Amino acid sequence: MYRYTEFDKAFVQQRVDEFRDQTERFLAGRLDPDEYKQLRLRNGVYEQRHAHMLRVAIPYGTLSSEQLRTLGDIAEQFDRGFGHFTTRQNIQYNWPELADIPDILQKLADVEMHAIQTSGNVVRNTTTDPLAGATQDEIDDPRPWCELIRQWSTLHPEFNWLPRKFKIAVTGAESDRAAVQVHDIGLRLRRNDADETGFEVLVGGGLGRTPFIGSVIREFLPAADLLTYLNAILRVYNLEGRRDNLYKARIKILVSSMGIDAFRERVEADWEASRQTDDSFTEADINALRAQFPPAPWLGGDAQDKPDQVFSNPLFNQWYRTNTRAHRDPGRRIVYLSLKSQTLPAGDATAAQMRAIADLADTFSLGEIRSTHEQNLVFAHVPVDALHALWKALQALELATPNIGRLSDMIVCPGLDFCSLANAGTLTIYDQIYARFDAIDYQHELGEISIKISGCMNACGHHHVGDIGILGVEKNGEEWYQLTLGGHAGDAAALGKRLGKAIPKHGVAAAIGKILDTFVALREPQETFNQAVGRLGVAPFKETVYAAAA
Amino acid sequence: MPLLRNGQLAEQNPWVRVDDETGLPLADTTRLPVVSLQRFLDGMREHRRDVAGVSLAPDDDVTALAPWLDQLQLICIEIPVFTDGRGYSHARLLRERLGYVGEIRATGDVRPDQILHMARVGIDAFEFADEPDSELLTRILGRYRAFYQPSYPLAIAG
Repeated sequence: MYRYTEFDKAFVQQRVDEFRDQTERFLAGRLDPDEYKQLRLRNGVYEQRHAHMLRVAIPYGTLSSEQLRTLGDIAEQFDRGFGHFTTRQNIQYNWPELADIPDILQKLADVEMHAIQTSGNVVRNTTTDPLAGATQDEIDDPRPWCELIRQWSTLHPEFNWLPRKFKIAVTGAESDRAAVQVHDIGLRLRRNDADETGFEVLVGGGLGRTPFIGSVIREFLPAADLLTYLNAILRVYNLEGRRDNLYKARIKILVSSMGIDAFRERVEADWEASRQTDDSFTEADINALRAQFPPAPWLGGDAQDKPDQVFSNPLFNQWYRTNTRAHRDPGRRIVYLSLKSQTLPAGDATAAQMRAIADLADTFSLGEIRSTHEQNLVFAHVPVDALHALWKALQALELATPNIGRLSDMIVCPGLDFCSLANAGTLTIYDQIYARFDAIDYQHELGEISIKISGCMNACGHHHVGDIGILGVEKNGEEWYQLTLGGHAGDAAALGKRLGKAIPKHGVAAAIGKILDTFVALREPQETFNQAVGRLGVAPFKETVYAAAA
Repeated sequence: MPLLRNGQLAEQNPWVRVDDETGLPLADTTRLPVVSLQRFLDGMREHRRDVAGVSLAPDDDVTALAPWLDQLQLICIEIPVFTDGRGYSHARLLRERLGYVGEIRATGDVRPDQILHMARVGIDAFEFADEPDSELLTRILGRYRAFYQPSYPLAIAG
C-alpha cells in the first residue's frame, strides 16, 4: 500500500501544526467561532449532540496493521474505547475532547494518517472497491488512481470553498462495489478498443434530500487527462453551483438544472482552455504509484477452492459461503470481517478488536486491512489453507457472524443517539430488526438483501439505495420511519420507491416481517429480493404492510 | 483599511471603490477609481480608457475583461462572505487563462487564515477589515514548505 514520501510526511506534520495553532487561538478567544468551525471541519472535527466527533481519513479504505493499531490506541486513550467505520470508508470517534484533537492528529501523522478534508465544502475522501487488487473481475487497480486524486485534491487552493461537499468514487472492476453512480463524480476504469486505459466519467449522482443517479459526461476519458478534466468539472461547479440554498448546492442540482449536455459543453470548454496549465501527471508518476500497490505474492496451487465445495463443519461452511469471496489467486481467498454482530452498534469495533484485527492481518493478510462503505472490514489476501484458523480467531472476536450481504448486514448511520442532524434513532431500529430476524438459517434462505437505515434526509445510511430503505422522520415530536423498496447501489443502480405512510418506531420490525413474508410467498426459484421487487413492483408489498389490522 | 501587498503591510492606497452612481472623473485627483465590472463594460464606453481599476463580484464573468487587461492595474475580487469561493476561480482564470499581471486584491470578508489559498491562486494583495497581526500573517504564509499542486505555487513571501 502507499507509503508516505518525505514530502507527504512533512506536509501532514505542517497540517497538524497549523490546526494546533488555530485551535489554540480559538480556545484563547483570538479566532472567530464561525471561522474556526470551517477550519475544524476541514480537519474532520464536528460538534455533535454530546461531544465533538473526529472523522479520520482512511484513503480509499486501505489501512496497514500499524495504522489500525494506532486507531485502537486512539479509541482507548481519547475516546470511550471504540470507533465507527463509515459509509465512506473512514473511521469516526464520537467522544474526543476538542483540546486533545491536535494530539490525536499528531499520533495519526506519526503513522502516516490524517483527518484532512474529511468534512467541509471541499473534495472529501475518494472511495473505492474494497476488493481492489484481489478481485477476479478487475480491469485496472483503482487505488493508484485514488492516491493520485487524493494528492491533487489535498489543500487544492481553488476548491477550498465549494458550494457544498464533493465526493468522488472510483471503481476498477466489472462489478461496481464503490457505488460510483451515486457520487458527485463517479469514475469507472475502462479499456478502449486499442487497449488504452481510460475512465468513464459520471457526474451529478448523489443521495440526500434529492437523490440522483449520475449522468455520463464522458464515455471514455484517456487516463492521462484525468486530473485536468477533474479540475475543469470542479471549476465549473465552484463558479456555477448554487450558493443561495444549502439544500440545492450540490453538483447534482447544477447538472440537473443545466441538463447534462449543457453542463458537458461548459466543462469541455473550460478544459480545452486550461488543460495545458492546470496540474497533470506523467506516465512515470502513475507507474510510481502503481509500484506501491504490488499484487500479493502468487500462491496458486491446485485450487483447494472449488465453488461447490462443502466443508464438513457446517458453521465453517456457512461462514465460508457467506463471508468469503474468490481471489484472483486460487491459493488465496478474500475474507469479510462482519462488524454487524448483535453486541455492538453496526460498523463499530472496540480498541481490543482493532488491535486483534491488526495482529490477524499480519498473520493472515500481508499486514493490510480494508474498510468497506457497508461498514465492514476486509482481509483481501488470505491463503486458502489458513481460512479455518482465521475463522476460529474471528469467531473468538465476534467478527465472524456469517451475515455479509444478508439481512442483518445493515448499513446504519449513527442517528439520533449521536448526530445533531438526526430526526430519529437508527441504532434501536437495527437492534429491533436484528433481534427479530437473527435466525441465521432464515437469513440464508432470504439470500442477498440489503437494509439501509438513515436517521434523516441527509441519507448517510444510504437508504435510497437499499433493497429496503428506512428513513427516520419526526412526526409530532415522535420518531417515525418511512420505508422504501427496490433501491440498489451497484451496477443496476436504482433509487428506492416509497412504500407508503410512515410507520411508528415499535412497528418497524413487524413491517419488515410482512415485506419478507410477501417476498417468500411470491418469489421465483433462485430469485433475489432485488429481482423480485423489480418483477413485482411495490404494490404487493404495500398491500401486506398496510392491510387493515385484523 | 489595512492592506497587505506582496507580503508587506502597505501604507499607501490611492485606489477608491466608486459605486455605479458616482460621477467620474473624481474630484480628488490623487485617488484612482475602481469601478464595478458592469459599469466598466456597459456604462463607460467613452471613459473606459481612463479607468485602471475594476472590482469583480462573485457572479461576474471574469473573461469579459480579457480585451482590456493591458490597461488595468488593479482588479479587486469581492469576497462577500469568506465561505464564498468563487473569487478563487476568478483569480486563477485571470492569472493562468488570461495572463493578467497587474495587482489582484481580495476585498470584503478577508481573514488571515484564508490568505494562503488566496495567494496560491494568484491574489497578491489583501484588504483586511481589521488590523491583522503581522506575526500571525508571517506564520500563516510560511506554514507549508511545498504543496501538492505545482501549478498553484505560493508566489508571495511570508
